Amino acid sequence: MNGKSFFVDLTKCTACRGCQVACKQWKKLPAEETVNTGTHQNPPDLSYNTIRLVRFKEEVVDKKIRWNFFPEQCRHCVDPPCVGYSEVEGSMIHDPDTGAVVYTELTKQENYEDILSSCPYNIPRVDPETGVISKCDMCIDRLRIGLRPACVTSCPTGTMNFGDREEMMDLAEKALATVQKKFPEAELVDPYETRVIYLTAYPAQEYYEYLMADAAQTPRKGLTRKQLFAKLGGAAARMRS
Amino acid sequence: MTVNRRRFLKLSATAAAMTAFGGLGCQHTAPAVDRATMLKPEWTKQTTTICCYCAVGCGLIVNTSLKTKKAVNVEGDPDHPVNEGSLCAKGASIYQLAENERRPEGPLYRAPFSKEFKQVSWKWALEQIAHRVKKSRDETFAVKNDKGQTVNRTEGIASLGSAALDNEECWAFQTMLRSLGLVYIEHQARI
Repeated sequence: MNGKSFFVDLTKCTACRGCQVACKQWKKLPAEETVNTGTHQNPPDLSYNTIRLVRFKEEVVDKKIRWNFFPEQCRHCVDPPCVGYSEVEGSMIHDPDTGAVVYTELTKQENYEDILSSCPYNIPRVDPETGVISKCDMCIDRLRIGLRPACVTSCPTGTMNFGDREEMMDLAEKALATVQKKFPEAELVDPYETRVIYLTAYPAQEYYEYLMADAAQTPRKGLTRKQLFAKLGGAAARMRS
Repeated sequence: MTVNRRRFLKLSATAAAMTAFGGLGCQHTAPAVDRATMLKPEWTKQTTTICCYCAVGCGLIVNTSLKTKKAVNVEGDPDHPVNEGSLCAKGASIYQLAENERRPEGPLYRAPFSKEFKQVSWKWALEQIAHRVKKSRDETFAVKNDKGQTVNRTEGIASLGSAALDNEECWAFQTMLRSLGLVYIEHQARI
């Protein structure tokens, strides 16, 4: 068994934000007071109370508009750098059955800046009052009673898929082959490094700068798995110094 | 921040251990917060319902606390043929239809020409509604129209809503309205 994974087909996402709300509903996380920033993306960023966020990005390419949607969450890295950075016993749990990376209340004893800088996807957020660090936990409580994560259950379009890792890898590769016929630039984002595998229609940077690990400096094509691992390590090393 | 050698080694060692043993080195398995316990029959009663928000009619599963009698979780019903568990953003938030601190706690009344709502009792409100409906209906009820055809209707009252009623409640509601002779009956669910 290689644990669980998500497969997220961004070519099917309509940004209805059902997943974002379903996540809050299950975890009973409060709403945030925001202002209109000129986009449907709301709240504007992840926070301690918003651990799942649908990002909206408009790109004009060849005088045609591309409206790219990106439901963002923790990627549950196969080798999670944040767990490596943890200095407090029991603050971060790498669940052996599912591969989920789960933060506990003990994260309040961690150095938040270090934990954040260790994340190639800019995910963890801290509660300014308690110091507890928060992010997606793969709905590990639901998994244990045989339910899928709240976001996956609620997805009406088939964007969000969840299951055994081999099954999701298989689904991802089949979907990629289909999508590439229409979108030649389509790609799977960091499939070997993370447990949340995104399928994009266009280059990952056109969605969000942190969709792909260190996307700003990573050439996207022709990288072997080994090189990608090295890139991930390199990103962490750069942030450290 | 300078290179922290201790952390660097620790990171590398952890990564190596994870790769080699697939995470078996982790001793802790308990989740930080276990919300799934609340779904057990010892704590909650499970019922099904239909989303009231639009005409699609998605199926929902509601878990109600046996202790407080309040809904504790509402999500899509995976066995329902319409939505197979999925919900839109509005449907996914339906838990707050009942559980929301911003809900008014009782009926509010604004008197004619007044600028403010004031809270009134249900008894007073329901009696007022009954009296006014009866008065308007009796004053405007028409047995026949201009052509002499039997219509038995009132055009003096219209009904709009309610957005928070489900299919079965709407049926009972419109039956009552039609028995009064209303013809202007509208509902938000046609959007």
